Amino acid sequence: MKILLIEDDSEAALYLIQALDEAGHVAHHASDGETGYAMASGMEYDVLIVDRMLPRRDGLSIVESLRAEDNQTPVLILSALGEVEDRVTGLRSGGDDYLTKPYAFSELLARIEVLARRSNPAEAATSHKVGDLTLDRLSREVTRNGEKILLQPREFRLLEYLMKHSGQVVTRTMLLENVWDYHFDPQTNVIDVHMSRLRAKIDRGHKTQLLQTVRGAGYMIRA
Amino acid sequence: MHKIVSLWRTTTVRFTAIFILIFIVFSVALLTYMAVRSSISIQQVQTREVVWEIRQLQNLNQRRGLRALAITVQRLASRPGPGVYYLGTPQGEMIAGNLDSIPSDILANEGRYSLRYTPQDAFGRAGVERDEAAPRARDSHAIVQSVILEGGLRLVVGRDVVERRDFTAIILGTMAVGLGGIIVLSAIAGVLMARHVLARIDTITATSNEIMSGNLSERVPVTRHNDEFDQLAINLNDMLDRIEKLMAGLKEVTDNVAHDLKTPLSRMRNRAEAALREGKKPQDHKKALEATIAESDQLISTFNALLLIARVEAGAVADSLQDVDVSEVVADVCELYGPVVEDAGAVLEAYITADIKVHANRELLSQALVNLLENAIKYATEQNKGSADDAKTGGKIIVSVKRKDDRIYIEVADNGPGIPDSDRQRVLERFVRLEKSRTEQGSGLGLSLVSAVVRLHKGTFRIEDADPGVRAIMVLPAKP
Repeated sequence: MKILLIEDDSEAALYLIQALDEAGHVAHHASDGETGYAMASGMEYDVLIVDRMLPRRDGLSIVESLRAEDNQTPVLILSALGEVEDRVTGLRSGGDDYLTKPYAFSELLARIEVLARRSNPAEAATSHKVGDLTLDRLSREVTRNGEKILLQPREFRLLEYLMKHSGQVVTRTMLLENVWDYHFDPQTNVIDVHMSRLRAKIDRGHKTQLLQTVRGAGYMIRA
Repeated sequence: MHKIVSLWRTTTVRFTAIFILIFIVFSVALLTYMAVRSSISIQQVQTREVVWEIRQLQNLNQRRGLRALAITVQRLASRPGPGVYYLGTPQGEMIAGNLDSIPSDILANEGRYSLRYTPQDAFGRAGVERDEAAPRARDSHAIVQSVILEGGLRLVVGRDVVERRDFTAIILGTMAVGLGGIIVLSAIAGVLMARHVLARIDTITATSNEIMSGNLSERVPVTRHNDEFDQLAINLNDMLDRIEKLMAGLKEVTDNVAHDLKTPLSRMRNRAEAALREGKKPQDHKKALEATIAESDQLISTFNALLLIARVEAGAVADSLQDVDVSEVVADVCELYGPVVEDAGAVLEAYITADIKVHANRELLSQALVNLLENAIKYATEQNKGSADDAKTGGKIIVSVKRKDDRIYIEVADNGPGIPDSDRQRVLERFVRLEKSRTEQGSGLGLSLVSAVVRLHKGTFRIEDADPGVRAIMVLPAKP
């Protein structure tokens, strides 16, 4: 995956580029807004990681300009401002996801991988299939190996989100944001409890465990 | 001198001066108009009288002859008043009247004339000095009508204008005196008013100076008049209250940040130092690093909580309030936490009245509720920790939402050990400010956030004895 990082803190950028490199991605770095904008509009990237506060040109205006030029490259906005309304302005300017500093690298990686995939047509699919597990978004039916599984509405949305991003790590925060629409981190392991219930419903009694815990990162559903 | 200059600078005095000026201009215009108008009107009346008298005298002459005419003229002339009469022969000899002599050109031709004359003394001489360069002080002035009667007799009838002039002079004199009075009185009123206003403003200025020099507890005095100055003072005081509260909040946040962040920071630093010491194996390093990351995550969440509390208390998120269905918000949180409560071996019961709307921030309200629920879970399950056989039963949490009149009650109750009476007061005292119990896991700021969120929504928060256990109650104003 080809990534452009626009970030003025050179130490943080260096660390991030190294880590992305280790994760198997190619990352370019721009240290100010103007350079970043020039690079983003001049080259093809799979994902842009844009810091909100940048010298010479702020992150949101870069995203706005790119969107105005019909450049639909997925953008992850990084910011120290984490309140709900900051997030809303960030997303309204054309960003696809918003991550508050400081963050865990695993969180960033999971989010950009999901973002890069987001531009694929899988988004509009009416049903998802992972191994012998299928989820029909229209009839709201879930079956495994032909056997119907009864899920609560929220469990359905949880599974739907996981299956939409099958093969990719989704973090607890991502689940809380996308399935429950909460943007705070509870002290207790709420997500783990819900995941173990979902796992009991879809994996119990089957040889292959589809729902996997990725240590230190989150969860993944994979055949 | 300085006082006068500073008085002049006040808006009140300047306004007063402007108003006096406008008033003077208006009064002068009005009185002048009045004087001119009445002068003209008197003149018209006099002219009509003269014309009428002449006609009567002409009739008299025709019907009764010269003798009767002469007697009547003499009678008229001897009446006191502004009347001026002359009856003479064509040769210029006076027959009757109160004018001794008249310039011959007036007698020669009929018409209206302006005549300067010396009024006749009771029986003394009188003279006519028409067009003299410097008329004497006693000179009079009359408008006369000259006619030639049948038989060539000359009749002159007129009215002295001095009386008319006197009337105008009286009006103008009144005007001068009146205006003088107006100017003096309104100047005094203006100065008094300005001094009064100035005195009120001076107290406000003095208070604000006091406050600017650092004494935030000072307040602007409010009188009992309930006038616009009192309104201003009340508003200023409200503003000061708010500022003082914010400052106190800021100080508290700073103190808490110092405590909450320094302790784990120094722990982290110690751990890193220990890991660097010689004789450590690679897995020790890994463990130390993992512990450091965990510690910094905890730090970040504490920091976020502190920032959020500060922002909520500062009212920075007040614009983000929208119409929110509280019933739904509470139901969502219960749904999220239901399995957690179950796993912890407790029961969650929810009694939610549907369709209750509040002007609120969904995110903050949810977070406050999550904090209360997490506390309740901790307490409800604590009860059973001692007894190993019956480990995971008995804990019970009741969440309810109901509306009573224009208040909405959101309650989270547990049946844990509760808080001893002696401590409950302390707990309540604590979260009035920031909660200080930080020995437990978590940021220890949960109740402080709840309290701040409730205040943001203009509600109240209290903790009651649920016997057994604790009941936390958020009371919010309902949307009308």
